[in-house]
Amino acid sequence: MSDSAVPMEAEGGRRRMPPEILPALGVLACTGLLIGLIKLVSPGTVLLAQVSAILVSAIFLAVASFGQGLAILLGGIDLSIGVVMGLGGMMISGLTNGSNDALIWAMPATLACCAGIGLVNGLGIALIGIPPFIMTLASATSFFGVGLGLTAGAAQAPVAPGLETLMSARGLGVPWPIWLLLGFAVIAIAFQNGSVTGRRLYALGSSPGAARVAGLPIGGLTVAAYGLSGLCAGLAGVLLAGYSSAATLTMGDPFLLPTIAAVVIGGARVTGGRGIYLGTLAGALFLSTLETLITVLSLSQGLRDLIQGVIIITALIAQNRPGANPG
Amino acid sequence: MAAPSGRWRRALGGGPTAVAVLLFAAMYAVYAARTETATTVFGITNLLNDGIVLAIASAGLTLVVLAGEFDLSGVAVIAVCNCVVATISTFGDFGWLVALLAVLAIGGAAGLLNGLLVAGLGLQSLAATIGTMIAAEGVALLILSAPGGTVADVIADSLTGDIRSVVPVAAVILAGLCLAWMVLKRTRFGIALYAAGTDAAAARLSGIDVPRTKLKAFVLAGLCYGAAGYMLSAQTGTGDPRASDALLLFMYASVAIGGTSLMGGRGGAFGSIAGAGILTVMQKMLFALGVAEFYTNVFNGVIMIVALVIGNASAAVAQRMRRRAA
Amino acid sequence: MKFPVKPLAALMAALGGLLAVSAGAQAQDKHYKVFLDMSYSGNIWQAAAANGVKALAATPPYDKQVTFKTVISGTDVQRQISDLQSMVADGADAILIYPLSPTALNRVIRQACRRHVTVFTYDSTVTEPCAYNVSSITARYGANSAQWMVNAMGGKGTVVINHGVAGTSVTKTYDAQALGVFGRYPGIRIVGEFYGNWNDATSQQAVANLLAVHPDLDAIWTVDGTYGSLQAVMKARPDRLVTIAGQSNNGYRLLMADKAMQQKGLKGLSSSSGPAVGPYAFKVMMEVLTGKLKLDRHNVEYPLPWVPYQDVKMCPGDRFESGCNVFPNGKVPPLFIDTALDGTLLPELSLASIQDGTATPGARMQALPPVKYADNLPDINCSDCKAPADAMEPNLVKPIPVPK
Repeated sequence: MSDSAVPMEAEGGRRRMPPEILPALGVLACTGLLIGLIKLVSPGTVLLAQVSAILVSAIFLAVASFGQGLAILLGGIDLSIGVVMGLGGMMISGLTNGSNDALIWAMPATLACCAGIGLVNGLGIALIGIPPFIMTLASATSFFGVGLGLTAGAAQAPVAPGLETLMSARGLGVPWPIWLLLGFAVIAIAFQNGSVTGRRLYALGSSPGAARVAGLPIGGLTVAAYGLSGLCAGLAGVLLAGYSSAATLTMGDPFLLPTIAAVVIGGARVTGGRGIYLGTLAGALFLSTLETLITVLSLSQGLRDLIQGVIIITALIAQNRPGANPG
Repeated sequence: MAAPSGRWRRALGGGPTAVAVLLFAAMYAVYAARTETATTVFGITNLLNDGIVLAIASAGLTLVVLAGEFDLSGVAVIAVCNCVVATISTFGDFGWLVALLAVLAIGGAAGLLNGLLVAGLGLQSLAATIGTMIAAEGVALLILSAPGGTVADVIADSLTGDIRSVVPVAAVILAGLCLAWMVLKRTRFGIALYAAGTDAAAARLSGIDVPRTKLKAFVLAGLCYGAAGYMLSAQTGTGDPRASDALLLFMYASVAIGGTSLMGGRGGAFGSIAGAGILTVMQKMLFALGVAEFYTNVFNGVIMIVALVIGNASAAVAQRMRRRAA
Repeated sequence: MKFPVKPLAALMAALGGLLAVSAGAQAQDKHYKVFLDMSYSGNIWQAAAANGVKALAATPPYDKQVTFKTVISGTDVQRQISDLQSMVADGADAILIYPLSPTALNRVIRQACRRHVTVFTYDSTVTEPCAYNVSSITARYGANSAQWMVNAMGGKGTVVINHGVAGTSVTKTYDAQALGVFGRYPGIRIVGEFYGNWNDATSQQAVANLLAVHPDLDAIWTVDGTYGSLQAVMKARPDRLVTIAGQSNNGYRLLMADKAMQQKGLKGLSSSSGPAVGPYAFKVMMEVLTGKLKLDRHNVEYPLPWVPYQDVKMCPGDRFESGCNVFPNGKVPPLFIDTALDGTLLPELSLASIQDGTATPGARMQALPPVKYADNLPDINCSDCKAPADAMEPNLVKPIPVPK
């Protein structure tokens, strides 16, 4: 931790911010366009209700994608997110067993376990030097096996009613999940672009060599990033369990690939060092809106997939223009 | 760790590929010790048939990974090819040939599309191939809305059986694949592939057309997916429009266990084929050992990591030995 | 469609008890190696089916006669092929499979049959003629449930279709049946379709989004993901519920039976394929293996569970006895699938069997009532065959006339 390192990172951080905000806003604009399309396809749509429904259903992807974003910021990837989401949901419902009193300790215990899986990932990557792709894939497979062995895939007790209320009630006329999403976004942005750790993650991601020379705690940063990713996946799983009033071990699986897509559509580079949470958030909203549009279109699944794939690629091409650096 | 000596040391120093082959041999030995049919031609044919789709697909994926890119579209392309074979291979006497040409064309076209998006437009491969993957899944569902169709018997019989009850056809195909890789590795393209994956900037400076190299890697990978789809059709005798996520993960696991660096520039298709062998024989070995049903997954994950750690250690040993020799 | 009348069943059960005892004495020395090959794992339906099978394998006299092993093959068909090969090589006498594909396993199943292995499938089917299929896929869930909904809606209203998993035979068959029935009533308008992938969370998100587009939605047709679909309606529109048909989660059955919910417009049907088909297939397979039963045809139908909201009946104990079909809140998790139990065909099973895979204390295997053979469905349970002319028509509900 040399004194000279911090100002250098801070400067780097400030220089990086503006060019990434533009694409993020672009993705948000595309999202607005998709919402307009929904209205066009289905004139009966109540716009406000639609936006609110999309925001509520986007929270799981948005929260989980923050963790994926941190892993990708370091030039890595986290393939354990889907499994950790399922485990988080199963734990919270198993531990609370339908009672609100248990939430006080069950919540931290669940999140700690999920963060623990992230820490295992981080340690394997930082200490043993296993590539993130394989480390997180292997740990996902293994922990899924453990979860399966412990629960045998059986149905779990209902989640605490408090959690259900949180995901369905309204505060000041707005569904609580939207407030949660807002709060989460503020904290996430503050952490990633405002904190010393956040700026160091950028420094490490853009040039591991320089980071080593600058004396940054590389191992610690890597472990922290994957630990946070596990934590976010766990949180997303808990929220999903509250939303659907029940949890299954495989409920997180459909979210894994979309987290990667959200981060990249949001303007991050998988080689690391670039990307902001506002972009990821925009990517998550874009994907959720796309999903809704495709649901409303009522096409066969084949056409749905085809359209979805083409739109994702189009979004990538549109988003790629500014500051493209192939190779 | 005590210094290993003699032959053992040489094997350990052979790099990740040698380790993968050793690990495969060890697991096969465990499986064979507990299963009578394991060493019969019938048992070996079965084992090779179970693993060959994964082997061909991961060999193709290796090329893209060596070039420093990702390709997630493989399994979806395999599904499309499988559906096409199940739809057209029974037309006429040469349906098998038409189907073969068709899957190679489809695989090549999918690879070309991926290559143009990544090497031409400069999109990030991880994300662009998620897009092509989803689109290809859609195409597969448009061809067949549910499992069905028939694969010509001539394909199923000739590719899954054995020659004169001695040599499994799959073994011949695998040998051909290895041979093709050995040739490819030594061509100018092969050398450019490693250079582009190791350091794109340096490769460009030394006159290598990096985008073109990457484009070729994607196309060749696509051709392999097409061939893998053809083999899958021969195995199952039918078409199924659903791409298996499990197979995609196994492909990457094969590549990594075989010692190819996911950052590009290091490794080779040999290793990936050995990796596919490990994953295939692992299923048989775990069955033979009677591992508790639910915990099979735990073993899958742990073995992946163990193979990689040993591989990495072996690479380090190899490097030290080379340095000492120099 | 319904199985024999009750007194007859009671008589058969008593008789079966006697038979089982004598057969047990005879077959004491005969020992069988039996495998269960699950594919998907970590999903409640599959776990319940597998536990039911395990419980039966541990119920006397099978606890002594059968060496039973479960293998999980995952979702990759090549892995399933590999595991089936291993089972045959290991000297299996019988294999019970949840097949990942109706056709891809045919080759390896043929290999097994050639070595005199008895091969049964449950729920999903295969077209290989030497295998036995035990399933309710031929019981026309799609046509019956859609017709029930049309009747309940008086032939008018807007419907959302929650398909299952795209690219599966079940989805294709049920969809074609349901769309055929809905299409006959001009008053029924399908305003949205999505693929819920038999998943409650996915279904809930999709229905929540669709409700914002179609706030006046009248009905939802599902195959699974029913509880999630209903949750979405209850959260977005708590005072105006829907007509809905689908799975048999305990939480869903309780909601259906709730008078307050019915007053808000909830009309529910609990049907769709039940996990009890797994243990039922095991029971049939064991009778065939031990020579007690000879099947003339290879496709056996497991009766379609059918509980409209008027028929929900609370169970006081741990078993489905005297026609009861739901457990009180708190006794089981809301996603527990009630059709994992079957009081008529599987009296050996209790709640504990489904949750832990253990035998019910004191239970003995009862003899099986006569089986019902299933219709042929090409590419689903046979290859060169013809479906009956009315295969897409409802046979459990009488269609109402099309309203003018």
